[in-house]
Amino acid sequence: MSRKPVIEFKDFNFRYKTQTQATLHDISLTIYEGEKVLLLGASGCGKSTLAHCVNGLIPFSFNGEMTGSLKVAGEETRELSLFQMSGHIGTVLQDSDAQFVGLSVGEDIAYALENDNMPRSEMLPKVYNSAKIVDMHRFLEQVPYNLSGGQKQRVALAGIMHDDVKLLLFDEPLAALDPMMGNFAIELIDRIHQDYGKTILIIEHRFEDVLHRSVDRVVLMDDGRIVADTTPQELLLGSMLWEYSIREPLYISALKQAGCSLQMAKDITDVRTMDLSPYEQQVRTDFEQTAVLEPKEPGEVLIEAENVGFGYEQGRPVLSDVNFKIRRGERIAVVGKNGAGKSTIAKLLCGIIRPTEGQIRFKGEDYTALSIREIGEQLGYVMQNPNQMIVKDMISEEIGLGLSLRDRPQDEIEKSVGEVLKMCNLYEMRHWPVSALSYGQKKRVTIASILVMNPDVIILDEPTAGQDYRVYTEIMTFLEQLNAEFGKTILFITHDMHLAIEYTDRALVFSEGTCIGDDAVFKILSDEDIIQRAHLKETSVFTLAKRLGLPADEFTEHFIKAERRKRSA
Amino acid sequence: MNNGFIINLIPGETFLHKLSGTTKVRLFFVLIIYLIMSFDIRLILPVFVAGLLGLFSLKTDVAALRYIIVFVVAMNILNIVLYYLANPHLGELYFGQETLWFQFTDHYIVTYEEVWFLMSRLLKMLATFLVSLVFILSITPSEMAAGLYNCGIPYKICTVVELAFRYIPDIYRDYQNIKVSMQARGVELDSRKAGVIKRLKQTILILIPLIITSFDRVGDISNAMDLRGFGKGRKRSYYSEHEATADDQKVKIVYLLIAVFDVLYIAAKIIYKIPEVWYPW
Repeated sequence: MSRKPVIEFKDFNFRYKTQTQATLHDISLTIYEGEKVLLLGASGCGKSTLAHCVNGLIPFSFNGEMTGSLKVAGEETRELSLFQMSGHIGTVLQDSDAQFVGLSVGEDIAYALENDNMPRSEMLPKVYNSAKIVDMHRFLEQVPYNLSGGQKQRVALAGIMHDDVKLLLFDEPLAALDPMMGNFAIELIDRIHQDYGKTILIIEHRFEDVLHRSVDRVVLMDDGRIVADTTPQELLLGSMLWEYSIREPLYISALKQAGCSLQMAKDITDVRTMDLSPYEQQVRTDFEQTAVLEPKEPGEVLIEAENVGFGYEQGRPVLSDVNFKIRRGERIAVVGKNGAGKSTIAKLLCGIIRPTEGQIRFKGEDYTALSIREIGEQLGYVMQNPNQMIVKDMISEEIGLGLSLRDRPQDEIEKSVGEVLKMCNLYEMRHWPVSALSYGQKKRVTIASILVMNPDVIILDEPTAGQDYRVYTEIMTFLEQLNAEFGKTILFITHDMHLAIEYTDRALVFSEGTCIGDDAVFKILSDEDIIQRAHLKETSVFTLAKRLGLPADEFTEHFIKAERRKRSA
Repeated sequence: MNNGFIINLIPGETFLHKLSGTTKVRLFFVLIIYLIMSFDIRLILPVFVAGLLGLFSLKTDVAALRYIIVFVVAMNILNIVLYYLANPHLGELYFGQETLWFQFTDHYIVTYEEVWFLMSRLLKMLATFLVSLVFILSITPSEMAAGLYNCGIPYKICTVVELAFRYIPDIYRDYQNIKVSMQARGVELDSRKAGVIKRLKQTILILIPLIITSFDRVGDISNAMDLRGFGKGRKRSYYSEHEATADDQKVKIVYLLIAVFDVLYIAAKIIYKIPEVWYPW
C-alpha cells in the first residue's frame, strides 16, 4: 500500500537558541495521509516543541538550531515560509480565548481569508460553510465574550477549515473544557476525520478522554525522544503509561485492581464495547470482598449557607436558594458547568460580594459584620493561575505578604512563615527567587501564602488545570497531607471528575444558579439527571460497573477506597 | 461583559449603524476638519443639530450615556468660565469693539461681544463632542479598523486598534480576579480604611501579576495571528466591511461636498483673510 506521507521527521533534532541542551532528540516519525494520531506525553516532554516544528512556529517565531530533516507534504520545512506551511497545516491552539482574535464569530473564522486579501463576496459563503461544519453558523454575529470555551474552540477549528489543509493539529484540545464539552470536542474531531478525510494530530496527556473516540496510532514522548509508536491497545496492556506519568484510564485501573490480567487478543480500548466476559468473574469476586472503612467522625460545622441568593441587579439573581454546610476536615468538590454559579459562591464565601438574600454563617455567626480581610483569616482563596497571585521576587517575602499587609510584627511574620515553609516542604527553597520554580512548586507557594494566615478553610480554583499526571499527583498529594495532618478543610472548584472522585468526600453540584446536588461523589456521578444538567460525564468505572450489572456507586466507592489504601500504603 | 462599555461590538440596526466603516470614518474626518476650521456659528449650528439628530436616530440607551454627557458638558462650561476669568476683553481682541452689557467689577465687565465669542466656542466644543460621540456609538471596532485601512492607513496599525478592543474586556476580567484574591490576602482598597498613598502602593500589588499574565497572553495571540497568515501580503480585506449600499452612496455625496467645502473655505480663509470668529453686528 502506498500511502502518502504528510509529515516526515528523519533523525530530527532541535535546540532552542536560549538553551544549552537540545529539546528534541533523534525524532523519526512519519504521519500518513488520513491517519489520526495521538501524541502523548507529560508536560515538558517536548510534545509542544514538536508541534511547533510541525506548524512552522519553529523556526519562524522561536529561534533555534535544527538538524536532520522534516518534510511537510514532501517539502523540506526550512525551505518554506510560515505562510506556506499554514497552507498545509491548520492549528488549533490550547488557549481558545487568546487565539480568538476577531471581534465576532464570523470575523474570527474569516481571519485567514482576510489576510489573503480575499474579496468579501467570496469570503461570506466560505465563512458560512466552515461555520456550518462545526455547527456555529447560527452564531456568526456573536461576540467572543458570550461564548463558552467549547464554542470558541469550534470557531478556531472553523477558521482553519477553508483551505485545503492536509493536517489538523490540535494542541491540548481538552485543557479548558468541562467534561461534557471535552467529549463533544473529541467527537467533533472524529467526525471531521471521518467526513472530510483530514489527517489529524492530537497533542494531549489526557489519554482516557481522547480515547472517547478511537485513534489509529499513539506516539509517546518522554524527555525529547519518541519512546513508543504503537496502538492504544498495546499501550493499555503494557506498563509504559505508568513509567511516563500518563494516567491510565480508570476502567483499566479498576480491572487491574480487581486482579484481572488483560488480554492482548481482544480490543480493550473502549469500555462501552469491549468484551468483558474474561474478566467478569474476577471483578465480581473482588467486589464481594469489600472491606468496610470506618466513616470519618463528622467535625464541627464551620460554614453554613442558608437560602443564600445573590444578584448584581434587582430581580435578576445569579444565584438563588443555596443551602449547604461545610464541616471541619472535609474535602469538598464544587462542580458544574461554567456560569452555573461556582465562582459566585466562591466570591460570596470570600466576602468579596455579599448575599442579597439569606445568610452565610462562619462557626455559627453571621459573617456580614466581618471585612474581607477578616474573612481572609478564616478562609483563603487560591486562584487557578499562580502567576496571577505572585507579586514578590522571593519565596519567603511572597508567603509573608498577607501578614505584612496586616502590619504584624516582623518576628511574628518570620516565625509563621518558617512554620508554613516547613508545612509545604519549601523550607530549603526559602531564599530562592520565585521565577526559579516549576509550576507545581509555584502552586505550593501560592497555597503557602494563604496558609500563613492560618485559615480553617481553603478554596482552590482548578488546582491542577492543564497539568500532567506527575504534577497533578504532586499537588494533590500535598493537599491531601494538609487535610490529613493539619486538619485543613478544602474546597475544590473543579471540572476534573478524576480529582473529585479520588480526593474528595463530597460534591456540591451547581447548575443554573443553584445547588442541585450535595452528596458523596460516587452517588452524584451515578445520577443521570445531575450529570446532564451540570455538564459532567459518566466515568468509565461506572460504565464498567453498569455493564457487569454491579451497583455503580458502590463499585466506584470500592475502587476508590482500594486506590486510596494503595496510595497511603 | 459587554455592558459597561459604550462601545458596540455588534452592528446596530439604524441608518447610521448600517453604513459601511469606510463611510463612517470618512464622514467623521471631514466633519472634524469642518469643525476645527470654522468659528462661525452659522456653520457650526447645522452640524450641532445634525449631531443631535444623529444621536437620537441611533436609539441608544441615553441613560447609559448620562454620566459622560454630564461630565463633558460640565467640563466645557468650566472651560468657558475660566476663559472669561482669564480675559474678559476677548471681544476687543477678536472683533475690535466692545459693547457693555453689565459689569461685576471694574475689570470683570460683561460685553455682548464676549458672550457671543464664548457661546460660539461652547457650541463648537459641544458639536465636536456630539460628532465624536455619534461616531463612536455608531461604529464597531472592526468597522473602524476597516475604515481606517480604506483611508490609506497601513493595516498593521488598524489591527492594533481592533486588538485593543478585543482584549480590553479580558484584561479587565483578569484585573477583577486578581483584585479579589489580593483583597482576601489583606490588600485594603476601601478609602475609609486606608490613605491614598497606601492604596496606591497596594494597587501596584494588583498590577504586577496583571502585567505579567497579560504579557504571557501576548505571545499566544501573536502565534495565533502568525499561524493564520497575518502579515502575509501588503493588502488585506475585511470581513466586517460590507459593500457600499445605496445609503453609502448618498452619504458619499454628502461627505465629498463637505470635503470640497472644507478645502475651499480654508483656501478662502488664507487668501481673503476672513475674520477668525464671525460676528454679525
